[in-house]
Amino acid sequence: MWRVRRRSKPVRLTTQLLRFVAVFLCVLVVLAGLWSFLAPAYSTAVTGAARPLFRLFEAPNVTVLEAREAEIWIYRVVGPGRVAPFTWFDRYTFFAVIPLLALLLATPGLGWRRRLARSGIGLGALFLIHTGYLVASVELSYAAIGLTPIGPFLTNTLDLWQVGVRVLWEAAPVAIWIVLTAGVWRRILRRNREERRRDGLPAEAIEASG
Amino acid sequence: MREATGGYRRLLRQRRVWVAALAVACAAALLIWLAGHEAAMGAIQRALARITSGALNLLGHRTVVTGTTVASARFGITVVTACTGLFATGLFLIAVLAYPAGWRSKLIGAGVGVGGIFAVNVIRLVSLYYIGVHLPGFLDSAHQLIWQSLLIVFAVALWLLWAGRWARVAREA
Repeated sequence: MWRVRRRSKPVRLTTQLLRFVAVFLCVLVVLAGLWSFLAPAYSTAVTGAARPLFRLFEAPNVTVLEAREAEIWIYRVVGPGRVAPFTWFDRYTFFAVIPLLALLLATPGLGWRRRLARSGIGLGALFLIHTGYLVASVELSYAAIGLTPIGPFLTNTLDLWQVGVRVLWEAAPVAIWIVLTAGVWRRILRRNREERRRDGLPAEAIEASG
Repeated sequence: MREATGGYRRLLRQRRVWVAALAVACAAALLIWLAGHEAAMGAIQRALARITSGALNLLGHRTVVTGTTVASARFGITVVTACTGLFATGLFLIAVLAYPAGWRSKLIGAGVGVGGIFAVNVIRLVSLYYIGVHLPGFLDSAHQLIWQSLLIVFAVALWLLWAGRWARVAREA
């Protein structure tokens, strides 16, 4: 939201972080209010992207997806022309879009053009991860209850795969934000260290390691 | 371009980079193992439920703990894996391990992070109890939307504060 590099007067790290948190909270409140309007479209888009992936991974394709407002319902084909509900993803499954956008909009030192570009890239990456999460978690659930035959290695490590997919889903917004803004924060932290060194504060002490 | 490639090569030759990468991989593996270990997660959830109940009782509520559920005559909350703050704590620890700081700084960062995220998580659970009692219609949003995001930004800000103010940066070879 502001450009650190153009400031003539140095801004303390704590001030920058307080601003970062404050902007994050403001954006979060606004976007969280909008989520109920955005979520149905996002869920529909994820459903649309996931369908060809299910067709790719399943032979025959037994999964039928339905976006019901912000929820995604998964049905399984149980006979000719018959489907049965299998599971569903609630309207908060893809909410990570909001903290990711809030983090990107609150990050200092990005111009508007770069901020918008990175928000687009971040949203694209998160969308792909959400689509992958939907497909992977359904396929792993099939495997867990014996609906899909799997080899001994996958059988023995199925729990780890399920937890791994969940961890990836949880960590995705932060991981994407880190990748997209690491350079900016590196500059801010380096500048902070230089300023503290100039001020003679002890935090600039460098210790030899490794 | 050549300079940048040389920089990466120099970086990869540093032992501390590989040690940090190994530590990050171990922390990630430990996190995944812990999240899938029912006995360990159950113990963490029960402990968190007891602490939350203790905090609520200090505030004048009469709650009791049954397994991982904190309940009173008015409302009850169940502490599940996602409520433990495990993922936020794990990510924080991975970020601390990955940052090029000395091991003493990393230990301080880990302590501050684990303690800080744990404290915020207890506040989160206590606040969710209050919201459940007084604003039940807002509980779902507060639980799934607001507090998830607040925990993320708290962990991120705490890490940045640690990296900027307390981490003693290791000298590059």
